[in-house]
Amino acid sequence: MSCATSPHRDPAIAATAFALWALLALFVLYPLAMLMGRVLFDHGSLSTAGIVTVLTDRHQVQAFWNSLLLAALVGLAGTALGFMFAFTAARARLPRGLLTAMDASVLLPLVSPPFTTAIAMIFSFGPRGLITYHVLGLKGVTVYGLPSTLFSEVLTYFPIAYLTLRPLIAGIDSNIEGMALSLGASRWRVFRTVTLPLCIPGLANAFLLLFAASLADFATPLILGGNQFPVLPTQAYLQITGLYDLRGGAALSFALLVPALVVFVLQRYWVSRRFYVTITGKGAGQTPFDSVSNAMRTALLAACLAVALVIAYFYALLLYASLVVALGANHALTLQHYRVIFTDGLKAIRDTLIIAGLAMPLGGLYGILVGYLVTKKKFIGRRSMELVSMINYALPGTIVGIAYLIAFNDPPIELTGTALIIVACYIFRYGPTGIRATVALLQQIDKSLEEASAGLGAGSGTTFRRITLPLIVPAFFAGLSIVFIRSMTAISATIFLVSVGWTLITVKILENITELSLGPAAAFSVLVVVIVFVVMAAIARLMRVFRAPGAMPVTSLLGG
Amino acid sequence: MMAMNRWLRHVLGVAAVLPLLFGALTASAQTLNVYSIWPENWAKPMFEEFEKATGIKVNFVRFSSGEALARIIAEKNNPRVDVLFGGPVETFAAGVSEGVFESYKPPSFAKLPARFRQADGQWVAIADDPLVFMTNDRFVKENGLKAPASWNDLLAPPYKNMLQMADARTSGTAVTRIFSILEVNGRDENKAFDYMKKLRPNVQLYTKSGGGGTLPVGLGQAGGGIFFIVDALDTKAKGYEVSISFPKEGIGTAAEGIALIKGAKNPETAKKLIDWATSPAMQNQFAKYKINFVPAHPDVALEPSLAAVLKDAKIFPIDADYAGANRKRIVDRWVAEVLNP
Repeated sequence: MSCATSPHRDPAIAATAFALWALLALFVLYPLAMLMGRVLFDHGSLSTAGIVTVLTDRHQVQAFWNSLLLAALVGLAGTALGFMFAFTAARARLPRGLLTAMDASVLLPLVSPPFTTAIAMIFSFGPRGLITYHVLGLKGVTVYGLPSTLFSEVLTYFPIAYLTLRPLIAGIDSNIEGMALSLGASRWRVFRTVTLPLCIPGLANAFLLLFAASLADFATPLILGGNQFPVLPTQAYLQITGLYDLRGGAALSFALLVPALVVFVLQRYWVSRRFYVTITGKGAGQTPFDSVSNAMRTALLAACLAVALVIAYFYALLLYASLVVALGANHALTLQHYRVIFTDGLKAIRDTLIIAGLAMPLGGLYGILVGYLVTKKKFIGRRSMELVSMINYALPGTIVGIAYLIAFNDPPIELTGTALIIVACYIFRYGPTGIRATVALLQQIDKSLEEASAGLGAGSGTTFRRITLPLIVPAFFAGLSIVFIRSMTAISATIFLVSVGWTLITVKILENITELSLGPAAAFSVLVVVIVFVVMAAIARLMRVFRAPGAMPVTSLLGG
Repeated sequence: MMAMNRWLRHVLGVAAVLPLLFGALTASAQTLNVYSIWPENWAKPMFEEFEKATGIKVNFVRFSSGEALARIIAEKNNPRVDVLFGGPVETFAAGVSEGVFESYKPPSFAKLPARFRQADGQWVAIADDPLVFMTNDRFVKENGLKAPASWNDLLAPPYKNMLQMADARTSGTAVTRIFSILEVNGRDENKAFDYMKKLRPNVQLYTKSGGGGTLPVGLGQAGGGIFFIVDALDTKAKGYEVSISFPKEGIGTAAEGIALIKGAKNPETAKKLIDWATSPAMQNQFAKYKINFVPAHPDVALEPSLAAVLKDAKIFPIDADYAGANRKRIVDRWVAEVLNP
C-alpha cells in the first residue's frame, strides 16, 4: 500500500471516512446493538436461558445446516450460471440485438417480486402442475423441498453474479489473451490459465453475494421449502411471528452471521494473495480477441437460450395471470386487474416510486464511496468498515426490519412511520452489491494510474473524480441498479417498516395473494417489471453520456 | 379546465405528502390509526362505513396476525396505532400476556357470551369463524370419493400427500383444528395424536398461514384441507370448483377480536371504533359486503346463504380455559410427534 494516502495528509479522505462511519454507526451498528440488547436482557436482567434452548433445539440445528447447504449450492450454481452468461455476453461476439434480448431476460428474475415466482412454480410443477402433470404426465410429484427452493433461488439470484462479473470480463485486456494465443496456447488453455484466473476476484465476490443473499432469503423457502427442508431465516421468522419470541428469533438470525462472515474473510484472504491488475493505462487499443471457437459459441448460446426460455415461460405465465379473471378457474380475458391497481393501488405505486427514487442515487453513491475507500485508501478502521458494511446484507430481512423498528421507534431518533426509515434500510441493505462491484473492479486497476495523477499535483478529490471515477462508473451503475430493483421488490425487511402513511407495491402483492386475488398481484408484478425496465433503459442512456473518452468499453445493462 | 383541475389536485396531493417524508404522521382529532389483520377487501368497506357513520377517518395498514402483534410488541413504548382490528382471539390472548392492550368494555360487552370477551375487556370479539373441510371437486370425482363427512374420511388412501392445512407453530387455524380433534376424541390426548399421526402421510404441506392452502386446493395442486369458513367461501366465490363439508363428529370454531392499544394516541376515537365494531351497527353490514363471518353479537341475524351452508353442521366452541392451559404443551407435542417424528 505504498500509494495509500494517510488521513493526516488528506482532509477529504478523512472527512468522507468519518461521515461514512457516522452513517454506518447510525444505520447498521446502532439498530444491531439495540436488538442485541433485547436478546440478552430479559426484563432488565442479563439472561441467556431462553436463547440457549432455542439455539440447541435439534430442529433449529438441522435448519442451520440446511441453510448452509442451500446457500453454498446457490452460491456455486448461481456464480457458474452468471459467469456463463457474462462470458457469453462479453466474448461470444454476439450481435447487438441478441445481446439486448439476453440482458433483458437476465434482468427479469432480478425484478421478480416476492412470492410470484414461487406461486408460478407451484402452478407449473405441483402434483397437478401445468408442466409436471399436463405436459409430462407425471403423478404424485412433490414440489416442496430442496430442489425447487434451489432452482427458484438460483434463477432469482444468478443475475447478481452476471451484473458484477460482466464489467469485469469486459475489463480484462483482451491483448493479454491474444498474446497467450499467439504464443501457441489453445483457446481452452487461454481460458483456463489466463481469463479464468483474472476473474477470480469477481467470482469470489459473486459467490459471497449469492451465498449471503441465499442465507438471508426467507420468502422463497417459506413457500417452497415445505416441511422437509426448513431453513434458518424461515425458522427465525416463525419464531417471531408465530411464537411471538423476538429474543429466540433474533438469536437464530445472529447465528446466520457466523457463516456469512467466515465466507467474507475467506474470500478476502484468497483474493488478496494474488495479483489481478489488467487495467494499466499503458495498453494500446484493444483488439477483439476470438476467445471462443464457433462450436463453443453455439454451445454457450444454446445454454443461455435454454435458461432464458425458462425465465420467459415464468413471466409469460405472470402476464397471462394478470389478464385473466382468475388463473386456474376462469380464463376469460379482462383488464379489470389493471384498473384495480391504478385506482386502489395508486398510493402504493406512488410511495414505492418516491422511496426507490430516493434510495437509488444514494445507494449507488454509498456503494462506490465505501468500495473506493476500503480498496484504495488507508485510514483507521478500514477493514472493519468493509466488514460492517456487509452486515445488513447478510442478515435476514426480517431481523433488519425488526432491529430498525426497535431502534427508531422511540426517541432520540424517531423514524418509524416515515419514508426515511425505508430509504435508509434499502441503502444499507442493498448498497453492498455496489461496494462489492467497486472493490472487484478496483482490484483490476493499476495503482500507477492514480500515482501518476497524484505525481502531477492533483489532490485525492481530483484524482478520484478525473481518474478513478470514470473507471468505476460501471460498478456505480451496477450498484445503483441493484438498489433500485431491490427497492421495488423487497418485502422481508419492509413488512416491519411500512406504516399507515407509507405503503409499498410488494406489500400490496402479498396482500392480494393472501386474498387469493392472483390477478391484481400479477398485474402489480407486471407493472414492477415495466417500471424497472424503463428505469434501466434510462440508466443505459446515462451511462453512454458519462462514459469517459479512452475508458474501457462500458457495457450497459441493456446492451446499450 | 377539468383536466387542469385534476392536475392541480395531483400536484397538491404530492405536495401534501412531501412533509411526511421526514416527519411522522401527525394525528388530528378525527382520525384513527389501526393495524388490521382482516384483509383489505373486508377491512376497507367496514372502515368506510364507520367513517360514514361517525365522520372519523381510519388510516390502516394490513398485516398477518403474527406480524401485527410482533410490531405492536416492538412499538410498545411509543405506539403507532390505536386499535388492533380483526384476527383470531389467540393472537389477542398472546397480546394480553405481553401487556400491550388497555382494558375497555364497550356497551355490547354485557350482552356477549363469555367466550366472546376477555374478562377485563382487554379484547372483545366481533365475529365467529367455524372450521370446515374444503375439497377440490375434480379431485374428489376422479378418485371416486364423496366430500368428506367424517374426520376418518380424510384418512382414505387417495388423499395420500394431497392435503394441505396450517402449521400449529404459526397459525391459529391449526391450533383450533388440533383442539377440535382433541374434543371429538373426548380430550383423550393419545387417541387424538394417534389420529393426527395417521393423517400425517396424507398431508402434503403444513402451511404457514391458515388460508395458505386454499389456492393450491382451488388449483387442484392439493385435493383438500381444513380451513376457516371465510377462506373457504372466498375460494368458492373466486370461481374455483371446491366443496365445503363438515365432519359428523363436529368441528371447532374460533372468535375474531378487537382491542385498544395501551398508550394509544387517539383513545377517544379508538373507543368509538370498538363501540361500533362490537355492535350490530357493524356486524349487520357483513352480508352486504359478502364477509362470511358469523356475527358475534346475539342480536345480529345470520345471513341466509351462510345459514344454509351451516345448517346441520355440528359446530362447537373451543373451551378457552382448557385451550389456554394446554396450548403450549400440545403444540410442542404436535411438533415433536406429528410434524417431525
